[in-house]
Amino acid sequence: MKLGSRQILFFLAAVAPVGKLILLPPQLAAASGNDLLYPVFPQILVQTALVFCVLLLSRRERTVYDLLKDGIGSTGAKIGMILISVFLLYAAFMPLIEQKLLVQSIFYDTIPSYIVFTPFFLLSVYLCSRPLAYTGRIWDILAPLFLFGMAGILLFSVGEADYGALLPFGAQGWSGFTDGTMRACAWFFDAVLLLPFVGRFGYKKGLAWKGALCYLGGGALLLVFLATFYGVFSDIAIIQVFAFAKMSHFFAGLTVLGRIDYLFIFALAFVMVFYAALPLHGAVQMIHDAFHAGKSFSALLSTGINLMMLTIIYMFNFDADSIVSAISGTLFWIMPAIGAAVIMLLLAFCGRSRREV
Amino acid sequence: MNETANPDKTITGTLQDDRARMRTLLPAEDIFTYDFEDMAGRPFTCFFADALTDKDLLSQQVFAPLQHADTKEGTEAVRTEIRAPEVRTEKELSKLADEVLAGNPVILWEGGKEGIVVGTKKAPLRTIAEPPTDIAIKGPREGFIEDVKTNSALVRKRLKTGELMMDTLTVGRRSQTVVMICYLKGTCRDDIVQAVKDKVEAIDIDTIPDSSYLTRFLSDRPYSLVKQVGTTEKPDIFCAKLAEGRVGLLVDGSPIALTLPYMLVEDFQSGEDYFVPAFRATFMRFLRLFALIVAIYLPAFYVSAQLFKLQLLPVKLLLTIAGSIRDIPLSPSLEMLLVLLVLEVLNEASIRMPKYVGMALSVVGALVLGETAVSAGFVSTPAIIIIAFSGIGLYAVPNIIEETSIVRFAMLLAAGSVGTYGVILLTAFILIYLVSTENFGVPLAAPFAPFIRHDMRDAIAKYNLHSLKTRPGALRSPNKRRLK
Amino acid sequence: MKFKRFLAALPGRVCLILVAAIVFIFFSNDFGLVDIQKTAIVLAVGIDRTEEEFTLTAQIAVPKGSDRTTGGTSSVEIEGRGETVPDCISDIYAKTGWVPKLVFCNLVLLGESTTADDVFSCLDFFLRNEYIPNSCQLAACEGSAGELLSSQSAIDDTSALALSKLFSDAAKKSGCVMTTTLRQFSTGYYGVSGSGYMPYVRAQTQENSQGTETASGNSGSAQSSPGDGPTEQKIYSAEETAIFSAGKLAAILPKEQTFAFSLLEENVYTGTFSADGITYVVLKNNGSVELDVSDSPTATLSLDLRVQLYGSRDASMPGEIARSILTPEQEAKASRIIEDYLGGLWETCIRSGCDLLELKTKLYRSSMTDYSQWKDSILTSAAVRIAADVKSVS
Repeated sequence: MKLGSRQILFFLAAVAPVGKLILLPPQLAAASGNDLLYPVFPQILVQTALVFCVLLLSRRERTVYDLLKDGIGSTGAKIGMILISVFLLYAAFMPLIEQKLLVQSIFYDTIPSYIVFTPFFLLSVYLCSRPLAYTGRIWDILAPLFLFGMAGILLFSVGEADYGALLPFGAQGWSGFTDGTMRACAWFFDAVLLLPFVGRFGYKKGLAWKGALCYLGGGALLLVFLATFYGVFSDIAIIQVFAFAKMSHFFAGLTVLGRIDYLFIFALAFVMVFYAALPLHGAVQMIHDAFHAGKSFSALLSTGINLMMLTIIYMFNFDADSIVSAISGTLFWIMPAIGAAVIMLLLAFCGRSRREV
Repeated sequence: MNETANPDKTITGTLQDDRARMRTLLPAEDIFTYDFEDMAGRPFTCFFADALTDKDLLSQQVFAPLQHADTKEGTEAVRTEIRAPEVRTEKELSKLADEVLAGNPVILWEGGKEGIVVGTKKAPLRTIAEPPTDIAIKGPREGFIEDVKTNSALVRKRLKTGELMMDTLTVGRRSQTVVMICYLKGTCRDDIVQAVKDKVEAIDIDTIPDSSYLTRFLSDRPYSLVKQVGTTEKPDIFCAKLAEGRVGLLVDGSPIALTLPYMLVEDFQSGEDYFVPAFRATFMRFLRLFALIVAIYLPAFYVSAQLFKLQLLPVKLLLTIAGSIRDIPLSPSLEMLLVLLVLEVLNEASIRMPKYVGMALSVVGALVLGETAVSAGFVSTPAIIIIAFSGIGLYAVPNIIEETSIVRFAMLLAAGSVGTYGVILLTAFILIYLVSTENFGVPLAAPFAPFIRHDMRDAIAKYNLHSLKTRPGALRSPNKRRLK
Repeated sequence: MKFKRFLAALPGRVCLILVAAIVFIFFSNDFGLVDIQKTAIVLAVGIDRTEEEFTLTAQIAVPKGSDRTTGGTSSVEIEGRGETVPDCISDIYAKTGWVPKLVFCNLVLLGESTTADDVFSCLDFFLRNEYIPNSCQLAACEGSAGELLSSQSAIDDTSALALSKLFSDAAKKSGCVMTTTLRQFSTGYYGVSGSGYMPYVRAQTQENSQGTETASGNSGSAQSSPGDGPTEQKIYSAEETAIFSAGKLAAILPKEQTFAFSLLEENVYTGTFSADGITYVVLKNNGSVELDVSDSPTATLSLDLRVQLYGSRDASMPGEIARSILTPEQEAKASRIIEDYLGGLWETCIRSGCDLLELKTKLYRSSMTDYSQWKDSILTSAAVRIAADVKSVS
């Protein structure tokens, strides 16, 4: 069973931006101040180009394993798949930590026991044991939910936003731009998330361009969100973690209507659950493809990987800040470098196997 | 096939032997025999089931003509004398016995190498009436009954086309239940028809008392919480589903017809939606969806708001609720669970109780359990209100009440243990489950997931009839167009 | 083979264990999470300080029972003391055993004693805490915030609710009150201008000679109700605005200047102002503060108002009442009145050194070069041009 190409477009336009709404905005505000939009531009452009390349990879409807096998043989392909899985698990850290912090903050009125995050992994075990094609169907549901949530939050926030706070342009200078760009790298890896889906959807003519456009559209929405975020909070933006849950609170109508903004917040939080589980799902699927495993192995693999991630997350329960700093600071280069390298390599193998055929 | 029969036994032609062997196969006292002779003195014997045979018709169409005839040698000669339109012949005694058990009298005679089966069945039947589970203010009021032939007649009169096929299968070793597989040839996919037939034929069970037994065998996931076979009691809805490209099953002894493949969105649609203006139908569908969502989630969010996230409630409402629950001895989650259980018990009792005590028990339910429990401080008023609304809301979509009542309990457990996040995770789990369920290659969650744009015109929103030019894309019917 | 059977049965068994775990959690509910019955719902807090410590008075809503014989919401005031604001919260927790839940805290009232120093020594906790909404209203008050909160309001059982009526949208539109939230005040404080404002609340006594029982209960170390005689009921007013510079109180704007500030912020709709026995109602309010630094900095305070005659001390003819439009003389007079208000506002800002009109912010946003040049002297060196154009609604 294959995904539909439309589902891929839904992911790029509506699900991919959702992972950048939690910790990224205050991080950018801290690094770049009112110039927080500029570091995001190159990230979006680079990812758009990489998404274009990944979608081109799918033209021959062969999986990543098949492409690697053509390039470096069966054993090499298995090793390559394991390495990509490890990379996906590394990429999963940021969404998981964000999800954990989000759960503690917006779903509870007081700091809950830290094990309240455990049920997420139960869901993740179940999701990761399902074939990837079903994820595409889930995106069909998530896309309108994301638009609903985002529209509501932006609608409620726009009236309170002072977009003049984004002025003057370039106030933070080159250092603000580079610092922001560096920090933002940890959140932009959507092209790599598409790799497990390569070969699992029918490629239609022009899909690569459409995918790029959809990702750009999602990026534009993200920029609008960031601008509104900074317009609402300006100089206190750096302390506004989970901004999407707080931005709409200032809407005047809430005093009469009550906290109906929670509808939109929970809609986005629902989409974020699936986004956080996506790298794990991809990692499981890569290993599954490498070893042509059966259904029960898939379930065991899913359980094992999720258990491992749960253990790591709880081991560093009180060091979340350090991990975020490490991933977005010292190790910022890993995401763009390895992500781009893997995709370029696969493109090269794709070209080589076409020539050989 | 009759388990006690010897399949190798055929009619010998010696009436005494044949009669004795038939009696061995049919020892029950309600299987009568009637011996008579024709004008030439040839002895005949008729075997019939007392309760299932139209004896007047039998007398007029079989006994009287034969008794006044001088029949020649051979089956054809005897057959010619019989005035019944539905006449068959059969050589095997076991099969003849099955026909008698099915209500069709069997005639044996001296020298006859075959038995004649006469179609003069007259089983006790209910009259056709409006089904209690699907009331329509506008539209037809007929409903299926327990007789498959009557039901097939109700279908045939609505689809007067040679494309309407009704293939008959028999299921159940002892019940020999007739199952009619209905479909429109050229509109329904052949692979689905064949798959359904294969599944039905593969059933090896004692009895099929109701069509719901068949649903277990037809479902790809027999232990699934979600139903995978559509049901209806109304012939107009049944025919409409056949016209969309589905396969329908009529089961003898059950007024509930089955339709396949099934999509969850069908249960949000009512037959009446097609008889009222489109805007009204759209409004009603959204109302059903809203009622269902509120019914499932309201108790859960109420509990999670009290236990984990007070901000979900406006301050004044929160204070009112806090005042109401101040002296309640149970925690909010246990209180809600208790009231929900009481509601389910009331629900069950109201279906089962004799109508003579219905009034008294309604008073007990309303006054004692509602009013007095609140006054005594066992439960709070908001909890009663929420459960009452939730209970009513679930019945906005009655076809999936079994599933949604379980989901409501599960949501309550998730909310009481983990809070709002638990509700979200459980919703995510249900979503994954729904999108990954298929039956006969058709996704359960279609046309939402996978998104099928044209089918959305008759999903939750209902477009005007002129817009519904093609059949549902999810069913992939070979004949797409239904309206020019 | 056995292993395969074990694997096949594993998902079902795991499900069973999970369901059992969830049911156990459900019935034990042993996460130490606070439920509604153990929670003190704090509606408002008042903060005072001495040299050594803070005093935080929390007004806690007391739910009425299901047998509601009286309307409204009753409340109780609990006082906590500590070196910091969170210490005060902990003190309250220790005294009452209730977990003070500040998610519903819609008002932070700062007493006079706190405004002498940087108010963010009080507000830091509220900004820092994830569970306290940034949309809570801020207000300063005359005297002690704790006493004000503990006082009996003439218009509501609970003083916090009475105060929140003062800060409603309708009151804001009248131009009489300049409301602010923690977010707005914080962005101003941390912004380039370093300024902020909040309504300044005063309480006036309204004696109730029948000595009505108050609905406020007493618990812990709450202030006791005044005496055995007639109960003093207070009427609160917030027509004045406290303006802050670098977190400290710089000045208090009187009613007229508050109105002028509201007009500049374009908040006013159907707000009124009076002059010489005539009351005008503002039906359209366009206002702006522009800064021009081409030669030397010049601030332009402009208002474009459409007003209607609302009332007059002298009787009018029916025709005049029906039209309620202003004569050119009245328009000119109204313009002068508004310009006077604006002038007073400007003077107060300059005198107190408070960049209330955010000139520095405008400078910063328009040009970094100009900002570097003028940032320290903009307030003292900027000239002002005031243009108030008041026209009648035709």
